[in-house]
Order: sequence, then C-alpha cells, then structure tokens
Amino acid sequence: MKLKRVTAIALSAGLMLGVAGCASTATPSADPIVIGSQAYYSNEIIAEAYAQVLEDAGFSVERQFSLGQRDVYMPAIEAGEIDLFPEYTGNLLQYFVPEATETTAADVYAALSAALPAGLSALAMSPATDQDSYNVTEEFATANKLTSIADLATLKDLKLGGAPELAERPYGPKGLLEKYGVTVTFEATGDTTVDSLVAGQVSLANVYSADPRISQLKLVTLSDPLGLFLASNVVPIASDSVTADARALIDAVSAAMTPADLVALNVRSVEEKLSASVIARDWLVSKGLLK
Amino acid sequence: MEWFIANWSFIAGLAWTHLSISIPPIILGSVIAIVMARVIPTRFVTPTRTILGAIYAIPSLALFVVLPAVLGTKFIGPTNVIIALTIYAITSMYFSARDAFRQVPVATMTTSRALGMNSRQMFVHVELPLAVPGLIAGLRVVAASTISIASIGAVVGVRNLGYLFIDGFQRKIPEEIISGLVAISVIALALDAGLWLLGRAMTPWRNAKVARA
Amino acid sequence: MLDVGALGAWFSDAANWTGRYGLVNLLGEHLWLTFVSIALASLIAVPLGLFIGHTGRGEVFVIGLGSLSRAIPTMGLLFALVLLLGVEFRELSVVLALAVIALPPLIAGAYSGVASIPPSIRDSATAQGMTAWQLVRHVELPLASPSIIGGFRIAFIQVVSTVVLAPLVGLGGLGFGIIQGLALRNFAQVTASSLVIIALTITGELLLGYWQRRAADRLGIPTNLEKP
Repeated sequence: MKLKRVTAIALSAGLMLGVAGCASTATPSADPIVIGSQAYYSNEIIAEAYAQVLEDAGFSVERQFSLGQRDVYMPAIEAGEIDLFPEYTGNLLQYFVPEATETTAADVYAALSAALPAGLSALAMSPATDQDSYNVTEEFATANKLTSIADLATLKDLKLGGAPELAERPYGPKGLLEKYGVTVTFEATGDTTVDSLVAGQVSLANVYSADPRISQLKLVTLSDPLGLFLASNVVPIASDSVTADARALIDAVSAAMTPADLVALNVRSVEEKLSASVIARDWLVSKGLLK
Repeated sequence: MEWFIANWSFIAGLAWTHLSISIPPIILGSVIAIVMARVIPTRFVTPTRTILGAIYAIPSLALFVVLPAVLGTKFIGPTNVIIALTIYAITSMYFSARDAFRQVPVATMTTSRALGMNSRQMFVHVELPLAVPGLIAGLRVVAASTISIASIGAVVGVRNLGYLFIDGFQRKIPEEIISGLVAISVIALALDAGLWLLGRAMTPWRNAKVARA
Repeated sequence: MLDVGALGAWFSDAANWTGRYGLVNLLGEHLWLTFVSIALASLIAVPLGLFIGHTGRGEVFVIGLGSLSRAIPTMGLLFALVLLLGVEFRELSVVLALAVIALPPLIAGAYSGVASIPPSIRDSATAQGMTAWQLVRHVELPLASPSIIGGFRIAFIQVVSTVVLAPLVGLGGLGFGIIQGLALRNFAQVTASSLVIIALTITGELLLGYWQRRAADRLGIPTNLEKP
C-alpha cells in the first residue's frame, strides 16, 4: 500500500513535470484581430478602446481579455495566439531585458522596439503612463520627511508590500538595496497592497502610478531620481498580421490618450463601477474617435 | 443590487461561458469514470484508486498552469481548464461509480443470469438501473464542485464567472463579487436539483411506498 | 518534456527553503491555516452532527448543507470576506472560508457515525438507566469515533488543497510558490510547490486513515476508506 502511494506520487509528479520546454507551435490566427488584455481593469479599458475603433472601421475583432499577468500571456502572444495587446514600455522591456538601464521614455521605447521578438512590433507609444511606483501614506511621509526613495535609506524596519513576484523583480527589494541602500522586508500583499498600506501592515507599497486610489487616499508617491523604475508608457504591441489600416486607427487612440485621461478612466472604473466597454466608449466619443 | 442590475447581461454572458466550460467536463469525466469503474479488473483497483487519489491532491491552480506545458495545448482559451476539470471529475466520480456498482446485490445478478440474460442485457437492464441512485449521488457532487472549481480558471485567464471575483477584488466592488457568488451557487444548486429529479425519474420503483421492517 | 534537473536544482537551492517565503515557513503557515480552519469548523460541526444523529432530526439539513457548501466557490467567498471585513482580518477571512468547506464532511461524519449505531445498543443503554447525556458521552461518541475521524480525513483533504488560495489575499502557505511561480513563469517552482502539497495531502490522509482504522479495529467495525 505504502509503496503504491509512492508510485502515485511519482506518477502525479510525472504529470506535472514536463514543464520546461514549452514550445507551442500554434499558427497565427487568420481572420479576426485577436485583442488581449491583462487581468487589470485599466488595461482592459484600453484594450476595449482598441477593439471598438477597429470594429467601428469594419474589422472583425475577438476579445481575449483578462489573461492574467505578463508572464502568463506573453508566451501566447509570441506563439501568435494574440494579435494586439496594450502594454507598458518599461515593464515589457524588463520582461525581455531584465538588466535594462534605459530610463527615459524615448530610450525605453527604442530599446523595447529592438528587444521585441520577430513577428511583433511596438506601435507608437501613448503619452499616457502607468508604471510601478513606491508609495507611502501622507502621515508616514510627513513624519519622516519623505519625498524621494533615497530618503528611505535612514529608516529601519521598512515593510514593502506588493505582488508576490515583486520579490524577484529588478526594482524589488534587491534594486532598492543596490540603487538606494534601502533595506526592506518584503510582504506579498497582492491585490490588497493599497489596503495593507492604509491599514499600516506595510510601510511602503508598490502601486501603479495611474491607480486612482493614490489621489483618493492621499498617498505620497516617492520620486525615483536614480531611475529604479523604467518609464512606462502605454504601448500597443501588434503582430505582423495587423494591417497598416488597423495600425493607423490604434495610433490615433494612443495619441489621444493623455496621462490624465488614463487616471480619469480608472477613476470611473472604481468609483462609478462601470464596465470597461462603457468607459472606453464614452472616452472615444469624447475624443471624436467614435460617433 | 444596483451593480447587478446594471451589469446583468454581462453576468449572463459570463454565466454562459461558465456553463460551456463546466458541462463538458461533468459529462466527459463521469462517462470515463463510469467506464473505468466497470472495466478495470479487480486486481488493478487498488493502484487505480491510489493514483486517482494522488491526482485529486494536485492543486487546481497548479494543474491549470502546467497543462499547456505538458500537453502542448494553447496557452489561452478554455481547453486547459476543461481538461483539468475533466481529470478532477474522473477522480471524484470513479469512487462513487465503483460504490454504486458494488451495491447491486449479487443475488439479483445471479437471478438475471438464470433468466437467460447476456452480459450486455444484464448491464443495461439490471446493473445500470440499480446503480442509478449511487451514480446520481456521485454526479451531484461532481456537478457542484466542477461549477465551483471552474471559477479558479479565471486566475489563469479563462474568462467565466470567476472573473467577477478577481475584477471585483481589484476594483473593490463587493457587489461584483457577491453577484458572482450568487450566480455560481444558483447554477450549481439548479444543476443539483435537476440531477436529483433525474434520479427520481429514472428510479420510479424507489418512490413507491414500501412497507419497511 | 521532463525537466527533473530544474526541479532538483530548485529543491537543492537553500535560498528556496529559508526566509519569510521559504518552503519551511510556507509549510508551517499552510499547516497552521489548515489546522485552525478544521478546528474551528469541528467546534460547530461535531456537536451538531452528534445532535442530528442522536435525535434523528435535521437529516435533510445535513444533505442540503453539503450541496450548498460545495456550490459556493471558495475563492469568491474569500474575496468577499476580505473586502467586507478589511485586510486587518485576512487571516480570519481565510479561516472562515476554509471552515465552510470543512463543515459538511465533519457534520456528515459525526452524524452518520451515530445514525449507524444499531438501535438495540441504544435501547440497552437506556434500559440500564443512562441519561441522554451519558448515552451520547459513553455510547454514541465512542462508537461514532471512526466515522468522526473519517470526517476529519475528508475535511483535511479538501481544506489542505484549498489553502493554496491564501496568497491571493496576501497571506502565505504553499500556494505562494504556485502563484508567484505563475507570475514569474518559474515552472520548477510551481511544480516543486505542488509536489510538496501533494505529499502533504497524502501523508495527512494516510495518518488520519490509519487513526480511523485503529479506532474501528478497537471497536471491531469494518471501515470503508474508499471515498476521498
């Protein structure tokens, strides 16, 4: 009996093991433009905007939204399962080149365009940005006279909250120590990061810069003079199967979206609790991109 | 409630995809499990049981993630989740199916044989009907848990009612999460009730009042 | 296909064993969350199951509760609880959500243990002048103990594999390795974490199954350990 249990463990291990060489050979889809989005409401609104302008121009579109995090969906994009995806220049560059040192928007964009695998290209980036940032509460900032990440270096017992993967990111605890001499203990707070900061369970929180709660809760975003974070503008990633006509339509959406617009879209999402399609539609109409 | 009303057609759409992801595994998994329960010879029963028990212990989230790497299936799309749910349905249903067939009295089988039935007739007319209550009981467990586990597929990008949990948690909209909870529970309970009625309809002799000792 | 090398390398890297999110710590947290949830559920479930078995009232309730609790997706319940109670109460939320899963098998175990006691045994106990309390304490509870332990065994299997969701609300446990590994595409870590969870599930199941058989052997009752 016990021996058989061991066999069973080995067998289920076998089932789980074949995990490294995951080369899928799916062919790029033919007809509709497959648009993906992250499992992030803000990203979904942008993807929805792409979808609606394309549909309005007569393209057929397939929505594959909320596909999880970058590390989950990028293989699908590289395998040609998705044609168009709203991305962020800095974060995507770090995905391909973890040791990337570019910090300005233009440099990051150029480096990203060079780093993208064959078959994919970065369309024109949008002025709108949404990037990782380190935030503290207003009280904590005032009490410790904090304006920059560098100011944290003298503080002890700092607890950094963020998604589980932040532990391994170049701008995570390791980057904080190497660039700024800031020592933190990491708490994987996931989707409860902002709440954990407000509840005092962590003292420093990694929040996307376009998160409406930064202003709602009066969080203080610490400046990053040494460029721990890469500039991260919204950028559509398109496969070669996306035609020039379609690209022109998406470029117009990117050009129209200002940083303030993106935050405003996010505010509508969390405050008015509207769906991505309604928010995207209203915004496109207000910009004259849709009638 | 307000959120629910404003988004009901969206929820209905998610409910539809949720069903389309859960129903095939329920049917497929149950059929495979019932066949396995019938054809696996007695001496292989213990190893089968042990292997299925171990597979049952694989966390669903992990199974969803590694399947495309193991099987070479597409990264996106519901295939991986459907396969994973089918595997769970098999592990759960196999045990119920074996119990159900074992509860058919040996005397009944011997009598049918004596009446001149062949194996196929015996299975279709005697064994299967008598196993129905046990099979339905197992099917009810499989149906409810498949509907419920399917929602975890939303974590790996399979859009179904579980999306309401993740999106609602990010945007801090309790109504959205509760809408998902209610929708999934209602679907699961409706399916449960449907199977219960099906079981009653298939075993009319059990509803007849019998004086019991 | 098989990448045993990467898996072996993951397991032999000391950094994956130590620290806040090392295997040792996560395993401890996983066991602790499992233990507390089942303990909390059993405080309600075992007395309730004994009561229903003793009085024979509320059998429909047991079946209905079983269906309902299977139908409620734990992930949604967990998120709703964290959102409504606040992040300060995330441990409580996880424990409550898991206790909901543990309730039905625990109630069913206690209930069916008592319900399957032959009426003649109860009658003779009553005839000897036992009070209802004495009957429960000295006859029904001991005779139902294998079935009660069986309830714990099933509750354990289900809870221990669902604790995996805890990192989604910012707690640890072995699910951390899966959820972080998913985001980092570190499949060796996902596989390694899953293997530890599988081994933990099977070890716990074997121990509880052994205990259940021992209890049954003492009473001379045959056990059926088939159903997971």
